[in-house]
Amino acid sequence: MSDFRKDFPILEKEVYGKRLVYLDNAATSQKPNSVIDTISDYYSSDNSNIHRGVHYLSEISSEKYEKSREEVSNFIGAGEPGEVTFTAGTTDSINQVACSLKSILKGNEVLVSGVEHHSNIVPWQLAGATLREIPMDEGCNLLPDSIEITDKTKLIAISHASNVLGSVNPIKEVVEIAKEHDIPVLVDAAQSIQHMPIDVQDIGCDFLAASGHKMYAATGVGVLYTSERFGDILPARGGGGMVDRVTLEETTYLKPPLRYEAGTPHIAGAISIAAAIDYMQDIGMDKIREHEHEVYSYARNKLLETDGVTVYGNTKEMCGSISFNLDGIHHYDTGLILDKMGIAVRTGHHCAQPLMRTLGTEGTVRASFALYNTKEDADRLLEGIEKVRMMYA
Amino acid sequence: MRDAVQDEIIGQFDGLEWLDKYGLLISYAKELEPMDKEFRTEENSISGCQSKVWIRTYRENGRLIIDLDSEAMITKGIISLLLKVVNNRPPQEILDLDLYFIDEIGLKSNLSPARADGLASIIRRIREVAEREMN
Repeated sequence: MSDFRKDFPILEKEVYGKRLVYLDNAATSQKPNSVIDTISDYYSSDNSNIHRGVHYLSEISSEKYEKSREEVSNFIGAGEPGEVTFTAGTTDSINQVACSLKSILKGNEVLVSGVEHHSNIVPWQLAGATLREIPMDEGCNLLPDSIEITDKTKLIAISHASNVLGSVNPIKEVVEIAKEHDIPVLVDAAQSIQHMPIDVQDIGCDFLAASGHKMYAATGVGVLYTSERFGDILPARGGGGMVDRVTLEETTYLKPPLRYEAGTPHIAGAISIAAAIDYMQDIGMDKIREHEHEVYSYARNKLLETDGVTVYGNTKEMCGSISFNLDGIHHYDTGLILDKMGIAVRTGHHCAQPLMRTLGTEGTVRASFALYNTKEDADRLLEGIEKVRMMYA
Repeated sequence: MRDAVQDEIIGQFDGLEWLDKYGLLISYAKELEPMDKEFRTEENSISGCQSKVWIRTYRENGRLIIDLDSEAMITKGIISLLLKVVNNRPPQEILDLDLYFIDEIGLKSNLSPARADGLASIIRRIREVAEREMN
């Protein structure tokens, strides 16, 4: 496997005199040169508002923006680009769906998995829905067979992969059950889209949310896939660029996707997603999955073999994140020493407090991997852990 | 005004690498008596810290006695240092203190804003108590 580190300039950085080992990819990933150049080029040569101007720059910007939508659409296997909306990120995507479906959700119920982050919990509560958890076993494997659907169940919203455990949820099985009851499913792909191939038609979900910045693109931009059958839901936000005809009495809206994109979007960000997809596709999603799986399994197994380390979750399929704690050492203390060794991890509850309660801990140390991480990074993490243990002994 | 306790702390940290500074903080943490469990309540906790911090105060012979504890060792080390400087003084003295050691041992520049905010919350709480005790 070739070394992808060279494509990511930030990884050349030394912190505290040590080569940076960046293992906080579940929070945000680093950007390859091609993405950085795309953003910079956009502002230095194309910058203009889209879908409005008659002039040259506006044409170019609009074209690149729509081209990116098309790329996203192909990347996730959507039927047509119209099903893809640019949003501000996964959280925004989920909030938009929650807001649009408010009248259906209010006083009713949304089914979620037990490993959700707050972004897939709070928007539903804000929309007036109550949440019910899909049962899971001790290893945090979801048990789709025990899904109970009632008259009040109006939506199933589950993450594809957990941001804490790295556990991959059996979304296809969940969708199958949901379909029997004609319940729409929203898949939160924030922690999977950068790790494995995704095909929304194969999954059969009605909504899919993802963030640009976790898939090597800019921050502040994301995508929302909405299946054609939900294409006429009311937009969550109104304003310029999404309307057909406006009078003081009444407004009619454009067709999707534009009806969901009020105001000036994050144009450079949206275009950067296409550059990120190009980068990933040049390598190949299957190859990325294979390489990451190798590094991830290596790190996980080593951690499991280390005495005095508790590794959380154990599902059939895993990717991205590994959560653990060192016996008798607070996660915060572990993170601080690792930081001084040049190893960037996240500590705390990772915006998933219900899951922390299930795991019986206040927080964990989370090492999360991306395509540029190597076994050497995993070894550095393990060395770091030894150092932590020595220091607190 | 320079303060002997703070100057001594600064002297100990002087010239140390960061990992060694953390080592020193850990040894300070180990010196600190743990707070009785019954006082580790939600009411006694200070928000704004990445790790939980509990505070308990009372007056004794005109002096303010402060008891601090945390579940994380590094935080505990920092509050152990803080206590060496502020604990067991008359409230007015606490209010007059310039806590320059935090800056001079490199803590301020090294703490991320979130962590620095936690430390600031602890100091703010101590000052509030001292002020209340003045009245």
